[in-house]
Amino acid sequence: MAHQAHAYHMVDPSPWPLTGAISALLMTSGLATWFVYKTTTLLFLGTTLLLLTMFQWWRLIIRESTFQGHHTTPVQKGLRYGMVLFITSEVFFFIGFFWAFYHSSLAPAIELGGLWPPTGITPLDPFEVPLLNTAVPLASGVTVTWAHHSIMEGARKPALQSLTLTVLLGLYFTALQAMEYYEAPFTLADGVYGCTFFVATGFHGLHVIIGTTFSMVCLLPHTHYHFTSNHHFGFDAAAWYWHFVAVVWLFLYISIYWWGS
Amino acid sequence: MCQNIHVSYKITIILMFVFSVRRRLTTTTIRITVRSHLVYLSVCPQGLCPGVPPVSPPVIFASPTKLASETGSQAEYLRANRIPDLQKLFQRADGIPVHLKGGLIDKLLYRTTMGLTVGGAFYCLVALYIAAQPGNK
Repeated sequence: MAHQAHAYHMVDPSPWPLTGAISALLMTSGLATWFVYKTTTLLFLGTTLLLLTMFQWWRLIIRESTFQGHHTTPVQKGLRYGMVLFITSEVFFFIGFFWAFYHSSLAPAIELGGLWPPTGITPLDPFEVPLLNTAVPLASGVTVTWAHHSIMEGARKPALQSLTLTVLLGLYFTALQAMEYYEAPFTLADGVYGCTFFVATGFHGLHVIIGTTFSMVCLLPHTHYHFTSNHHFGFDAAAWYWHFVAVVWLFLYISIYWWGS
Repeated sequence: MCQNIHVSYKITIILMFVFSVRRRLTTTTIRITVRSHLVYLSVCPQGLCPGVPPVSPPVIFASPTKLASETGSQAEYLRANRIPDLQKLFQRADGIPVHLKGGLIDKLLYRTTMGLTVGGAFYCLVALYIAAQPGNK
C-alpha cells in the first residue's frame, strides 16, 4: 500500500459517481417521457442503472473499510458528520411539507368552507389504523436499540434477531399504510387536504421503505462478521435514519391525523 | 499454553547440550537459542508452535457451544469468518482498482453498468431532442 503521512482516506478514482449522475438524468427524463409519451423505457433504464450504481458503490465502501482498513477514526468522524448533515437536510425537506399543511389548515380558505377538515372531506379516524401505525415505529425504535446494544456486546444471535424484527416491523408499517391508502375516502386530487395529506405521508412512506432497505442491507454484513463491537458505522447510520423516520411519523400523526381531523 | 512453553524449553535445553558437546557453542548461538526460546514464549498461541501438537482449548471456551438447544441454530448463521481471507485478497498489491479487485464478476458488472450508462445517455439525448421538436406532442 502507498505510504501516507495522515490518517485520512484519499479515495481511488471510481466510475460510480458518473453512473449515478447519468442514472439521475435517465430517471428524470424517463419520468417526463412517461408522462408525455406513455413509454417507460427510459425510466426503467434509469432505475436499473441506479440499482447497479448503489450496489457497486456501497460494495466498494465495504471493501475499502472492512477489507482494506481505510476507515480510521478521523475518517469515521467525517462519515458521522456527513450522515448527520444528510438527516438534517431531510428534516428541512419535511419542514417544507409541514409548512404547507399548517399554512392551509390554520387559516382555511373560504373555498374550503372556512373550516378544517374542508367541507366534503371525511378524514381517517386517528384512533384506528393510524394509532397502530404509531405503535409500530415506536416498537421498531426499541428493537433497533436492542440490536445496537447486542452488536456492541458482541452478541451475534440477539443482534440478528432484533435487526430482523426491526425490518419486519418496517415492512408491517408499509403494508398497513398501503392498505390505508387504498381504503381512504379521499384522494390526492381532493383539494389542498388531499394534496398535503398524501404528499407528506407519501414521502414519509418512501423514507420508511428506504430505512427498511438500509436495515435489511445491514443484516448481510452482520452475518458475515463485518461489524465489530466498537466499529459498525453502517449499522449506526441505519439506526439514526430509522429513528429520524419514526420521529417524522410522530409529528405527522399529531399534526395531520390527530389535530387535522 | 503452559505445555507448549514447557516442551519448547525442553527442546532448547537439549539443543544447547548438543551444541556444547560438539564444541559449537558460541555466544551468538546461546543468544539465538535464548531468543528463540523467548520467541516461543511470547508468540506461541495455542497450538501454533511448529512441531508441537495443538492442545485442546480450555474448557471455559468450550462450554457455550455445548448447549443442546443452541447447537442446531448456531450452525445456520455462524458461517465461517472469511474476513481475513477477503482482507488478504483486497490488500494484494497488484495495481488493480478496488472496484475490479474481486475478479471476473466485477469486470462483467462494470462493463454492463458502463454500457447502460453510455447507451442510456445517448438514448436520453435523442429522446429529449425528439421531445423538443414543436410538432411532436
